[in-house]
Order: sequence, then C-alpha cells, then structure tokens
Amino acid sequence: MGARVAMVNARGVDLSVTIGALKLDYPTLMGSGCYGSGEEFAPFVDLARIGGVVLKSVTRLPRLGNPTPRLVHTPAGMLNAIGLQNPGIEWYLDHEVEKFANRPCAIIGSVAGFSVDDYAYVGERLAARAEIDALEVNISCPNVASEGETFACDPHLTAEVVRAVRGVTDKTLIVKLSPNVTDIASIAREAEAAGADALAVINTVRGMAIDVERWQPRLGNVTGGLSGAAIRPIAVLAVYEVARAVKIPIVGQGGIETASDALEFLLAGASAISIGTANFTDPQIPVGIAAELMLYLQQRNLRSLAQIVGKANVGFANAYQYEGDEG
Amino acid sequence: MATAASSAAIHHAFILDRQELAPGVVLLGFNAPELVRMTVPGQFVMVVPPSGESAAVALGIYEASEGRASVLFFVVGKRTAKLAALREGDVISLAGPLGNGFTLGAARDVAIVAGGVGIASVLLAAQALVRAGARVRLYYGARSSVSLVERERFARHGCEVHVATDDGSVGHSGYVTELFGRTDEPPDLILACGPTPMLRAVARIAEEMNVPAQLSLEETFACGVGGCWGCVVPLAGTSAQAPSFPPPERDGSDVVYARVCKEGPVFWAHELRW
Ligand SMILES: Cc1cc2nc3c(=O)[nH]c(=O)nc-3n(C[C@H](O)[C@H](O)[C@H](O)COP(=O)(O)OP(=O)(O)OC[C@H]3O[C@@H](n4cnc5c(N)ncnc54)[C@H](O)[C@@H]3O)c2cc1C
Ligand SMILES: Cc1cc2nc3c(=O)[nH]c(=O)nc-3n(C[C@H](O)[C@H](O)[C@H](O)COP(=O)(O)O)c2cc1C
Ligand code: FES
Repeated sequence: MGARVAMVNARGVDLSVTIGALKLDYPTLMGSGCYGSGEEFAPFVDLARIGGVVLKSVTRLPRLGNPTPRLVHTPAGMLNAIGLQNPGIEWYLDHEVEKFANRPCAIIGSVAGFSVDDYAYVGERLAARAEIDALEVNISCPNVASEGETFACDPHLTAEVVRAVRGVTDKTLIVKLSPNVTDIASIAREAEAAGADALAVINTVRGMAIDVERWQPRLGNVTGGLSGAAIRPIAVLAVYEVARAVKIPIVGQGGIETASDALEFLLAGASAISIGTANFTDPQIPVGIAAELMLYLQQRNLRSLAQIVGKANVGFANAYQYEGDEG
Repeated sequence: MATAASSAAIHHAFILDRQELAPGVVLLGFNAPELVRMTVPGQFVMVVPPSGESAAVALGIYEASEGRASVLFFVVGKRTAKLAALREGDVISLAGPLGNGFTLGAARDVAIVAGGVGIASVLLAAQALVRAGARVRLYYGARSSVSLVERERFARHGCEVHVATDDGSVGHSGYVTELFGRTDEPPDLILACGPTPMLRAVARIAEEMNVPAQLSLEETFACGVGGCWGCVVPLAGTSAQAPSFPPPERDGSDVVYARVCKEGPVFWAHELRW
C-alpha cells in the first residue's frame, strides 16, 4: 500500500480503525461509484490522508448502464441512476486493477451481480489480486431492473450471496445493505451469520423526480437512488438499528458532509464512515472531517474513535467495540 | 479532443470584481494565476457554492489572462443563486481547469455558434483564433436582447458578430441556427456551445455544409472529474473520443457512453449518437 501518513498527533490521538483484517489509517472511506478509482480525485486531495477508496461496483459482464439523464439535483441531495455501467470483470482485471498498486490508502473492490454465482465469481477474481485490500459486496443497487436490489431485500438471498463470497476469499468482506427494506436489522443479522466481517450502512434511498413541463420522469431510468444530506437521518437510524443487531463493525454512510455528521454515525454505532456525495461539493471534505475528528477526541482527552462508537445507542450490542481500548 | 488539461488543482481565489450584466446574468472575476496559466479554450471549472449544496457548479472559463479568470453564469437554481450573492473580496474555491477544450488547429475561417449562456465557453477560443489571424464569425442567439450579453466585447476582439433573438428584439427574429444556416460562405471549422436542440441543429447544418464541427455539451454533473459516470452521452463505439471501456462488441452494442466532464465537454459532432 506504499508509505502512509498516520494521523497520530503528539498527544497520541489515533484515528486508525480496523475492520476485520483491514487496517485504515483514517476512518474515512470514499463511497463506491462516487470516487471512480481514486485517480480522478488525486489532483484535488492527498489520497494518503483518507482511509480508502471503495471502487466502483463491477459485474461479471460489461454493462452499458442506464439511459440518460442519469443525475438530478434535488433539495439537499441528488438522485442518480447510473445502472452499474462498468467494463466487466475481465477487462477490469486486465486494464484497471493494476492502477491501484502503490496507492497510499486502502483499496476496496466492490462486487455486484445478478446471481449468487456471479457474486462468487467476481468476488474470487477480484480478491485474488494483490492490489485489492478488501471486498465490499453490493447487494443493494437500486438502479438495475429487478434483480440488483433483490438480494438485499431478502434475508435468505443475502445469506446465500455472503456465504458464496465468503467461500472464495479470506480478505475482509464488507456487505452493503439497502435502506429500502422493512427490517434492515434482520438482513444485517443474516449477513453477519453468513460470514460478513463488516456492514456498509446504507446504500441510496429509492426516489423519483418529475419534470412538470414535459410531464415526464426526470431520469432516463424513471427511478433513482437518493444520496446526500437529504438521507442522513434515514442512514443514522439504520446504523442505530443495525448496531443493536450485530457485533461486527459498521461503515456508516449517507449524507455525511461534516465532522459533526460523521460523529452522529459513530455515536449511533458505526466504527468508520464513508463519504460519497459530499466529494462532489468539495473533494477536500474527507480530509477536513478527519482533522476535525482528531480535534474532537483531543478536546475530550480521548485516544481513539473506538471510545465513542455507539455511545448514543442505548441497546448497543457491538461487543467488538465495547472491548475497545478505554485508555 | 486533443487539447487536454496538463494538470488541474483546487484553487482558492479572491473575487476581484462582480458585474450584473443583465438581470440574473453575473460575471465573477477572480485572481487565479495558476488556473490562468493552465487553461485552454473550452475548459471548465467546478465552483464550490458557499454552503450546504450537494455538488459544485460546472462553469465554463470565460476569461483567463494576466492572473485573472472569470466565469459568466445565469442564475437558474439554488447553487447559481448562492454564487451570485458573492461579493468582491470573498474567497471562492474551485477545481480546474477540467475537461478537454476546443481543437483549433490551423482553421482560417471559423464560425462560432453560441446560444444563451453558451457564450461563456467560447470567448477564449474566439480570442485565440483572432490572435492566430483567423476570420471569426460569431452567431449569437438569446431569448431577447436583454440577455444577449457581451456581444460588443466579441466585436472589439475582432469577431464579426451576427445576432438573433427569439422575440425579435434585436437582430434576426428566431433561432440563431436559422441565421447561421443561411450563410453562403461555409467556414472551415464550426464551434458551438448552447442548449441541446441548438447543438443538434448545428450538427445538421455542419453535415450539410460538410464542415467539421466541435460541440461543447452540457449535462448535469455530479463529480465533474470522471468519477461517477453520471454525465454521459452516447458516442459511436468506434469514436476516437470514446473512453476505453466498455468494449462495445462485448456489450452487443455499437454505442458507448462517454463522460461529458472527462472525455468532453467538447466532442466532434459526427461522433455523437443522439
Ligand atoms: C461543462 C459545463 C459548463 C457550463 N458552463 C456554464 C457557464 O459558463 N455558465 C452558466 O450559466 N452555466 C454553465 N453551465 C450550466 C451550469 O452548470 C448549471 O446551470 C448549474 O449547475 C445550475 O445550478 P443550479 O443549482 O443553480 O440550478 P439547478 O437547480 O441545477 O437547475 C438547473 C436547471 O434545471 C432546472 N430545474 C432544476 N430543478 C428543477 C425542478 N425541480 N423543476 C423544474 N426545473 C428544474 C432549473 O430551472 C434550471 O433551468 C455549464 C454546465 C456544464 C456541464
Ligand atoms: C453517483 C453515484 C453512484 C453510486 N454508485 C454506486 C455503486 O456503483 N455501488 C455502490 O455500492 N454504491 C453506489 N453509490 C452509493 C454510494 O456509495 C453511497 O452508499 C450513497 O451515495 C450514500 O452516501 P452519500 O450520501 O455520502 O453519497 C453511488 C452513489 C452515487 C451518488
Ligand atoms: S460528472 Fe461524474 S463522471 Fe462526469
């Protein structure tokens, strides 16, 4: 992973986080699909000062993605319907993955698919590459006709997919859950039981916008996924509920724009956070958030983020975090 | 396009001047020497709005000389309204220069077609062409004379200016493409920036004239740097500007999506599939 600048200051505040076997120098991941391969943002932010990049989701076969328009700006957020445009795993391995070598932050591959078999295949091929530090399993894309999100909406399918990918790699497995379900905690429990090392909570919230002049949906795909500040309370609640249901770490996400937003997720029970849409406003936001988190800990004489994880969550079940260093 | 940015960066700039050129049309000048040094005609910046918005605003780089750059924009929504409220001395952050600009080559007789705010993306090209000794004709259209801003400046810079307004308040009454389509002196290169229907009309005229045309497209952006695939337009799978993936033959399609922010915003008209 190359030389990293650990953000441990003179007074010993440590922002590093461990998720399964994955060590992050900063608790900040960049959300899948929002950050390309990291390369696109490198001119604007020092990648050594973020925890890691979750790559854009990749499928077994190439996908053209959804028709345009694919983006709509909405109050306090945006709708997107990219539709998993990607070159397919073979091309990805041959042409893209080598670019991730020597990145100064963690690189997390994102696996998508339309069958259990797809997930296992893509997961195995990706995880076999040394450039990939961990896997995120995207069972929750709301923008592909029918199948994509079905996995995250059905506890049995969730378990099957997670078991299948677990069976092909020992690398850290993060399973990304959908908010578009009745009971996210039950899905989380299945994912944990099936071998997930961590959960990413949440993917985008289904939404729609209509053009009142043309009397037509604004997105080429009709519906899309809502992200940004608009979904933050939904995401904080999801983290709160999932944190009471499982013992594995949670990567909280959904509308994080400031350190205060990040703290809400940590206090609800997330061990790390992910930032997507806020990078579109200002790519330096993740670095600012990390710096402010450090200051927050310092001012309270705390040494590590583990000491605040879940502190606002009364029924917090995350023993992993409770055992964190209270020093 | 051939003229890719050599590098881009985040710039924190002081607003040097602010003018309201017409109601809701704002010109913001700022000091950004490095940006000015790197910019080629047709590139854009992502400007961070003052607070709490979910994305930066894509704006063409209007002027770039002697350390000062400017953007010219219409107030159409929340983010542009926030930018319009900035004053002299305020600090703005912007990322750029981004995207691939116009390829001017050795063109000697160039027609520039600009619609509405499209004018903001063509001044640098016009200046460079005039400087290189080319004849430059600007065909400039707007809803009405009020929003037909800056035409005197193009004239001062040595362009022949032809105007059209939808309401007929000045110049040709009707679309700017009608005006341009009537010329019996085909140029050797066409550059255009404006609303999509105008660009389609320009593409058609260019084909009839058998003159190459470069169109600067506008799409809704999220990242503006090629990271999200939200801003795509369909190109022929064999296009020179198509991104290297997905390989079209494996997708069973002869179309690929190219990112307007990364492979564009300027595309050759004949490569677009719309
Ligand atoms: C490469 C590039 C260069 C550009 N250069 C310039 C430039 O130089 N100058 C310039 O002025 N612009 C330019 N633009 C366009 C500019 O980026 C957008 O107009 C700007 O982002 C609008 O932001 P906003 O938040 O103010 O408006 P938005 O809220 O994004 O609105 C944009 C448009 O959509 C309409 N709209 C949005 N939401 C709704 C809704 N719910 N119902 C009905 N209508 C709606 C608005 O009325 C408006 O017409 C450029 C765009 C690109 C891609
Ligand atoms: C443009 C865009 C594309 C996205 N693509 C993916 C994707 O390919 N895979 C995935 O797991 N999540 C994808 N997401 C979801 C984000 O990773 C993130 O979970 C979500 O946007 C919520 O976080 P945010 O509000 O900070 O953006 C995408 C989000 C956006 C805005
Ligand atoms: S706006 Fe993100 S790829 Fe163009």
